[in-house]
Amino acid sequence: MQSVALEFARIGFLNMLAFRLRYYTGVITYFINVTVYYFIWRAIYQVDPGFAGFSFAQMTTYVAVGWIIRSMYFNNIDSEMAEDILEGKITMVMIKPVSVQWSYISRALGESAFRLCLLTTPTALLLGLIFPVLAPASAAHFAAFLAAVAGSVLLVAALNFAVGCCAVRLTSILGLLRAKFWAQDLLSGVLVPVTLFPAPLRLVSRWLPFEHIGFTPMAIYLGRISWRQTAEALALEAFWIVALLAFGAWFWRAMSRRIMVHGG
Amino acid sequence: MPGHVEVQELVKHFRTFERREGLWGALQNLVVREYKTVAAVDRISFEIRPGEMVGYIGPNGAGKSTTIKMLTGILVPTAGRVRSNGFEPFRERSRYARTIGAVFGQRTQLWWDIAVVESFRLLKKIYAVSDADYAARMREFNEVLEIERYLHTPVRKLSLGERMRCDMAAALLHNPPLLFLDEPTIGLDIVAKENIRAFLKRVNREYGTTVLLTTHDLSDIEELCPRLMIIDHGRLLFDGGLAELKRQLWRDTTVKFDLKDREQAQRFEQLEIPGIRREKLGDLTYLLSFGRDDRPTADVIRQVVNAVEVLDIAIEEQSIEEVVKRIYLGGMSPEAPPCNP
Repeated sequence: MQSVALEFARIGFLNMLAFRLRYYTGVITYFINVTVYYFIWRAIYQVDPGFAGFSFAQMTTYVAVGWIIRSMYFNNIDSEMAEDILEGKITMVMIKPVSVQWSYISRALGESAFRLCLLTTPTALLLGLIFPVLAPASAAHFAAFLAAVAGSVLLVAALNFAVGCCAVRLTSILGLLRAKFWAQDLLSGVLVPVTLFPAPLRLVSRWLPFEHIGFTPMAIYLGRISWRQTAEALALEAFWIVALLAFGAWFWRAMSRRIMVHGG
Repeated sequence: MPGHVEVQELVKHFRTFERREGLWGALQNLVVREYKTVAAVDRISFEIRPGEMVGYIGPNGAGKSTTIKMLTGILVPTAGRVRSNGFEPFRERSRYARTIGAVFGQRTQLWWDIAVVESFRLLKKIYAVSDADYAARMREFNEVLEIERYLHTPVRKLSLGERMRCDMAAALLHNPPLLFLDEPTIGLDIVAKENIRAFLKRVNREYGTTVLLTTHDLSDIEELCPRLMIIDHGRLLFDGGLAELKRQLWRDTTVKFDLKDREQAQRFEQLEIPGIRREKLGDLTYLLSFGRDDRPTADVIRQVVNAVEVLDIAIEEQSIEEVVKRIYLGGMSPEAPPCNP
């Protein structure tokens, strides 16, 4: 089973390599995003150098590293799944003797492995050269940060699978995918650190899995939370991964009974 | 038992949402929806024994694909029972999938953007095919399907015929005892069709693979399937051999006579043979039709030849297409038994 997952991951990897343009535009997109946020924050920090308890250097690092890890954990399996279900290609997944959930999730992991090598690393080098990015708070913080990022990858994959399942009941899932896309970027703290959210939104985000995708690794990287809080955050992240995987498995079982594939 | 399929009173209902018309209707749809239930498959029962090759035909929308999708574990039946290869397909999908092969003519199970051989590698892993078996299977596939030259091409660059050969190989890589084919020859040219048919015959002969295939090309059935099942509106209309189908539906024999000259034609028109319909095709060409069971064809011919000078005689075969067209258009006539028990 393990080696099958590896092969699926390999396919995910190869699929990403199939189109050169998609790859280059990927690198450029991340560079543009970081540049835009860099200048926005610079304008803010020129007015208020101590904004939100972050120094400008910390905020720059937050933005740059936030986007760098986003370039790794991000995947499209929700929209791929939706397409497979709406176009009936899901039949081709279902005739194979593997769990549907694991085949999509391993594909997502393969995509992340690809992104790490060919997208995240070059983007990190490029951004590190251009922007004043701080080093991690300590080697230990960096190790905990890497663990949190590995968790982000799993978390996003588990979440996207569960969202993709909704395509069974919806004839048009684009709206839902868009909403999820923006909710994820906002609530994960990649656009704005979650600690800057207004109190009600912060209350909501605390009970949702999203902030563990982006904010938790970043807070650890910058050393902004204590070791105790770090352990709690990592445990909570692990809980969300298990919960979302379990939910996805259950949700797919329920949804697959309602699949309609007409013609062909 | 491997290669054995048993279907009892199988039913699949689809619930579709009925859209109301007009602006007011569209607004109503936002609040309350009306659903309509359609029976795509309606109480179908049959059994397929190991090693059989069975054709499953019916007009578009008859329920063929839906049946196949229930048999492959993709769709959950609304009611009824399927036992296939000793499994209950939907409930035990993952384990069951290991024991079957499936090809859907309008889709590919290969990964679209990557070389064919990469897909094969993945399938080899998924089905845990050993290196030795894999090499042997590939050699064998190559003999008939000649897939070796496409192995390093991405699937999206293959022609339909090339892709279908690769899909066929992919479905059989793990040598399953049971193979489902949903329109495997759709859109293929005659050479590719024959290639696929030859391959299926060989697999069935050498490994005793059970095959159930749907098609719109009746020559697939004539060449491959000693048994066929006809479905329409979700009901099984016929289950039996091709010859039996013809016997049941082909109730008239038609004989064409070319006569020597006008004088003979006049004599022919005065000829009296009871229970015969006469049709004039040309100046000297006539058709005689009569109930196939009423009298032997030889009797009729003898009577005509004894009375009139005839140049040429042709007994018209009714083609399988015509037989099937009659079923699709009018259903089986009441006197023909609808289906073998």
